[in-house]
Amino acid sequence: MNSAQIEIQLIASLVAIACAIPGTFLVLRKMALISDAISHSILPGLVIGFFITNDLSSPLLIVMAALSGVITVVLVEFIQKTKLVKEDTAIGLVFPAMFSIGVLLISKYANDIHLDTDAVLVGDLTLAPYDRIFINGLDFGPKSLWVIGIILLITLSLLIAFFKELKISTFDAGLATALGFSPAVLHYGLMSVASVTTVGAFDAVGAILVVALMIAPAAIAYLLTEDLKKMLFLSIFFGVFSAISGYWLSHWLNASISGSITTILGLVFLLVYLFAPKKGLISVSYRNKQQKIEVSLLTFLLHLNNHTEERERHINHLNEHINWQKVKSKSVVDLALRNNMITLSGNIISLTEKGKSFTDKAIDYIITNDDSEIESMKEDFFLFRG
Amino acid sequence: MEQKKLAVTVDDLTVAYNYKPVLWDIDLAIPEGVMMAIVGPNGAGKSTLIKAILGIIDPIAGSVAIYGKPYKKQRKLVGYVPQKGSVDWDFPTTALDVVMMGTYGSLGWVKRPGKKEKKIALEALEKVGMLSFKERQISQLSGGQQQRVFLARALAQDAAIYFMDEPFQGVDATTEIAIINILKELRKAGKTVIVVHHDLQTVPEYFDWVTFLNVKKIATGPVKDIFNDSNLTKTYGINYKVSVQQ
Repeated sequence: MNSAQIEIQLIASLVAIACAIPGTFLVLRKMALISDAISHSILPGLVIGFFITNDLSSPLLIVMAALSGVITVVLVEFIQKTKLVKEDTAIGLVFPAMFSIGVLLISKYANDIHLDTDAVLVGDLTLAPYDRIFINGLDFGPKSLWVIGIILLITLSLLIAFFKELKISTFDAGLATALGFSPAVLHYGLMSVASVTTVGAFDAVGAILVVALMIAPAAIAYLLTEDLKKMLFLSIFFGVFSAISGYWLSHWLNASISGSITTILGLVFLLVYLFAPKKGLISVSYRNKQQKIEVSLLTFLLHLNNHTEERERHINHLNEHINWQKVKSKSVVDLALRNNMITLSGNIISLTEKGKSFTDKAIDYIITNDDSEIESMKEDFFLFRG
Repeated sequence: MEQKKLAVTVDDLTVAYNYKPVLWDIDLAIPEGVMMAIVGPNGAGKSTLIKAILGIIDPIAGSVAIYGKPYKKQRKLVGYVPQKGSVDWDFPTTALDVVMMGTYGSLGWVKRPGKKEKKIALEALEKVGMLSFKERQISQLSGGQQQRVFLARALAQDAAIYFMDEPFQGVDATTEIAIINILKELRKAGKTVIVVHHDLQTVPEYFDWVTFLNVKKIATGPVKDIFNDSNLTKTYGINYKVSVQQ
């Protein structure tokens, strides 16, 4: 690895971390789409900032861009509050308008400068190591590294300072207000951080892919954990992982870095979506299937509980009487046998003590909905886990 | 009851959504130490009244005082149990963590909860019989358990006045008993409790004060004086017979 390669990966990783933090809260607040809106609508801010300073590297550009991101959020909320259009419609109305103002401004007045729309849309990391900061002839590293580094530092300090406030206002805005933590301040604070981060990530991944870096890592983490802090760490981890492996994928394919990073994010999400231990698709369908069998088991046990006649307890009787397929009867009987709830002598089934008490408890639960009775059963049966 | 201090006073409170009043000119004077039910049909503005008192919704007119001072100066005296459906129970956190949120108010901005706050939260969980569920993810709790977690969170606020928005809604028998026991304990400790309540049958049993609300205030006072056919009919618009209830 040469130093340019290391620098690119470092910048991509910092961008991923800076995006994952606000992204986690956006996902939890069901506001993923707003990041899309912000990323597009910072463009007019960038252009106007450039017109004022005539300098592409002026910090004023970041301020102006962030400002237009926040203005977008305000506009969306304003339109939505009139109740004349729904929230998603409001987002869909505002950001293309903002973005197109930027596009018009560039094509009319800034055709001759580096601000071309392609770079804005997909970014270009390969050039990042060549735009360096020199002070007194001393090389201080790539400019983008400094920009995203400072943004990340601010984001991290805000996160550490206001973690508790962000958590409560995300989970329960009503209580947050009653306790005096203004959710509006936190909301616009988060929107400002998201806007500034988007500007910082712009060079690296462009307006479209910055959305992926905000939302995908958080969506992946959400499927893997049930703890907010862990969710933040996991989002950061998957962001950085995709940034670095995306870089090498692009190296290998000789293709766009931002495209490769996003592809990796998509693949990781797909894997987690399918295989996550608790919330993954496969685990959920397995659980649903088990639950179905358990309902049948309960039906079966109730039947045994109600009927003492041998005729009713004959194994073949199950197929006819309860109208089950052979396969289903077998899996239910197997499950009951495995749990020592029944005994088989010949083809006659009898309820064991354990089976009897299980049935009684289950009936009690169904009647009273009092779940202290079934705590012990939750470990073994999905049915009672709510 | 005569010379008791007033815990909550509401003067000429009017709240509107999109210029349509949902609460119209409400006056209330709630004495310290009462257990008050707010009853009224759907859309009567019961939750809105609580939210306006707690500053969650801005009224277009009127004022609220908690022990004679504006709510903003008295936040620490007030505990709140929102409707269970008002939050996302898939939020990645545990029962203990939710209860800890009750202590955030006394911590103020930036300061983090520590050992003392954890102890308060654990005690609150114990009071509602949920200590063994402290590490459980909140989506894995039953509806009744979630309601008890909310109650524990309010207890962790250690307030003088409690506002509860339909705490009995859709709960199982265990939870209903747990909530009633907590209400009794709060009463014994001299707290004021204001509950949005749906089940008219249990009003005389659980509460000593009642407010009838239907956009306007119909009546407010001790249950034994005003919980009668005439007020029920005025509030619900149909002929009500208390005799059916008790």
